[in-house]
Amino acid sequence: MNKFIRRNLPGYTFLFPWLIGFFALALGPILASLYLSFTRYDILTPPQWAGLENYEYMFTWDDRFWQSMKVTFTFVFLSVPAKLIFALGIAMALDKGIRGIGLYRAVYYLPSILGASIAVAILWRQVFEANGVINSILAIFGIAGPHWMGNPDYSLYTIVTLAVWQFGAPMLIFLAGLRAIPNDLYEAAEIDAASKTRKFFAITLPLLGPVIFFNLVLQTIDAFKIFTNAFVISGGNGAPADSLLFFTIYLYEEAFKYFRMGYASALAWVLLIVIALFTAIAFFSSRYWVYYENERD
Amino acid sequence: MPRMNRRRFVGSLMAGAGAAATLPMFSRSAFAQDAARLRLYWWGNPSRDERTFTVIDLFEEANPGVQIDGETVSWGDYWTKLATQTAGRNMPDIVQMDYRYLDEYVSRGALHSLEEFRGGALDLSTYEEGPLAGGMVDGELYAINIGSNTQVALFNARIFDEVGIAFDPYGYTLEDLKRIATEITEATGGSTYGTDDNTLAYEAFETFARQSQAPLFAADGSIGTNEEVVGEFWEFWRSMREAGVVPPAEQSASLIGSGMNELGLITQNTAMSYLWSNQIVGAQSLSSDVLGAAMYPQKAGGVPGQYVKPSMFLAMSANTEHPEIAAKFISDWVNDPAMTAVLGLERGIPPVPEVREALSPEFTEAERLSVGYFSEAQKHVGELPPPPPPAAGEVTDAFVRIGTEVLLDRQSISDAAAEFVGQANAIRRRAG
Repeated sequence: MNKFIRRNLPGYTFLFPWLIGFFALALGPILASLYLSFTRYDILTPPQWAGLENYEYMFTWDDRFWQSMKVTFTFVFLSVPAKLIFALGIAMALDKGIRGIGLYRAVYYLPSILGASIAVAILWRQVFEANGVINSILAIFGIAGPHWMGNPDYSLYTIVTLAVWQFGAPMLIFLAGLRAIPNDLYEAAEIDAASKTRKFFAITLPLLGPVIFFNLVLQTIDAFKIFTNAFVISGGNGAPADSLLFFTIYLYEEAFKYFRMGYASALAWVLLIVIALFTAIAFFSSRYWVYYENERD
Repeated sequence: MPRMNRRRFVGSLMAGAGAAATLPMFSRSAFAQDAARLRLYWWGNPSRDERTFTVIDLFEEANPGVQIDGETVSWGDYWTKLATQTAGRNMPDIVQMDYRYLDEYVSRGALHSLEEFRGGALDLSTYEEGPLAGGMVDGELYAINIGSNTQVALFNARIFDEVGIAFDPYGYTLEDLKRIATEITEATGGSTYGTDDNTLAYEAFETFARQSQAPLFAADGSIGTNEEVVGEFWEFWRSMREAGVVPPAEQSASLIGSGMNELGLITQNTAMSYLWSNQIVGAQSLSSDVLGAAMYPQKAGGVPGQYVKPSMFLAMSANTEHPEIAAKFISDWVNDPAMTAVLGLERGIPPVPEVREALSPEFTEAERLSVGYFSEAQKHVGELPPPPPPAAGEVTDAFVRIGTEVLLDRQSISDAAAEFVGQANAIRRRAG
């Protein structure tokens, strides 16, 4: 016991500020929301116990709940792979040891820092407007671009591109992962006259496994929680025609627009379970596709 | 004195800051024993905030020993914050109230009745009867209307003049609108469309439904409109799109939720946009052309659909410790010459005739347009509808959502109309 404390004390000391925040500020509201998810609560009057009513309504009656699920899942399945592929591509290009790499890294990381900001979302809205940058470029080639934001068939893709554009965080992690691959493996492959593609699939990709896995889990969780961009671009309500009704936007509407805190809490718990489920699937499946160099036998 | 190292330096800095922070706190709490402190809470914009803070200063000067703390947020956050504060028994003493929420707050016992102050601290001797009625709940006065409002169709007067449009702004019909819009679109060669597309404009539908004697909400709060009326409304605007006299559908769809500066009238993409009368001054300030004001188009053979809406109220918290002072503040807000002069028309048309007269010499062109339009329109409006029932906002949202399907031709009008009426009923049932 004494040894345990001595060994872990520094760690817990560093964690301490976060732990205070978690226990004092986060845990209470989290548990309260679990209770509230079984009630009807409009803030002004005390919550009334409603049993499973919220969950029952959600799964049997609520079309908008299913619409929000559809939008969110489409977004996750499109944006996460695209973003990871993009991030890996850029990371590999930057790994070549070009001059001024620090600058490139900063430049490519910039969108991720700006990503959650309102300003970028507004900018994005303008880029994709009827007379925006995209359509002006298309016009040069004689293509009349659609109204990206006003058309429910296209609006989601504008948000997917915005998410992909914010590839900085996974890129940096990939970059670190690439640096950690021992050079002798490539040299050996060189001697055997392996092609570039072969080297990528036989060395780079397998050895990056743990890093890909890490990025995949983090980005999936992030993608499920997308809010700010979508909120600004959709005008706060998932417009046009609910094509941007992400789960979190629906939750926000229910809670802070219609004051159904009980129902919104239930939605939050469903989101938590969905995210937990996907993380669990990723962890479980990782046994079969993630390769750790140091546990070879 | 021990040697100053970095840690000690930071420590003493913080101790100093702490002491400095507590000092004024003590002095203020000592002072607070004789001063009555009230909180005033409103939603608005920078111009309104400036006017309101000036009014607070004027009131504090005239009433020594009273301190009013102003708190302001935007409309979007206002109701969330007010509901949370009310639940925490921390509601501000005086709150700006909206017609939509008045019933709800009264029924939950959050507001103080104003009856007992009438003729006392609250002087309503010159206050008009019409505006007063909006603040009554079950025959009892709970809120004072501080400005009235009505729907307005603003048009670009320069373009209307150049094209030579002659019409009666208070009596033209939907068919007239179609003719006018066609003339303008043709005369400008399509660079300016005749009017905005109102397929998604809830206020336009509300007016149309009242003109058709099938208001969206019946007196008991149930859904009073039907598929035919909804369909007829959307059909009209589709015919406008097919005639090419309103902007393309996708453009109109993308304007939902955007600010006044993106309105067709302001960007000169269209010659007519639809707003509330207390926005006339703001719209004119954004427009390079002179604007004119008309009512929403009438329905041939219909009844008046527009109404004079109490745009904002002041109400008093049931938990206030200083009800007399709060009542006096509300009274001065509507009567006091200095305070009303500062407030102007920013929140709507003042409900006391003397105040309107005192303001008129100082009016700008836009303010004169606003007041002139309001007094003329008043002769052509219908009755004030009952306050919207709970979840009315959700019904509005459903209208926009399903309307988008119509606008973009993704759903037939008859299906969409049936779906909207069905959803509106479901939303009302769920709200109880």
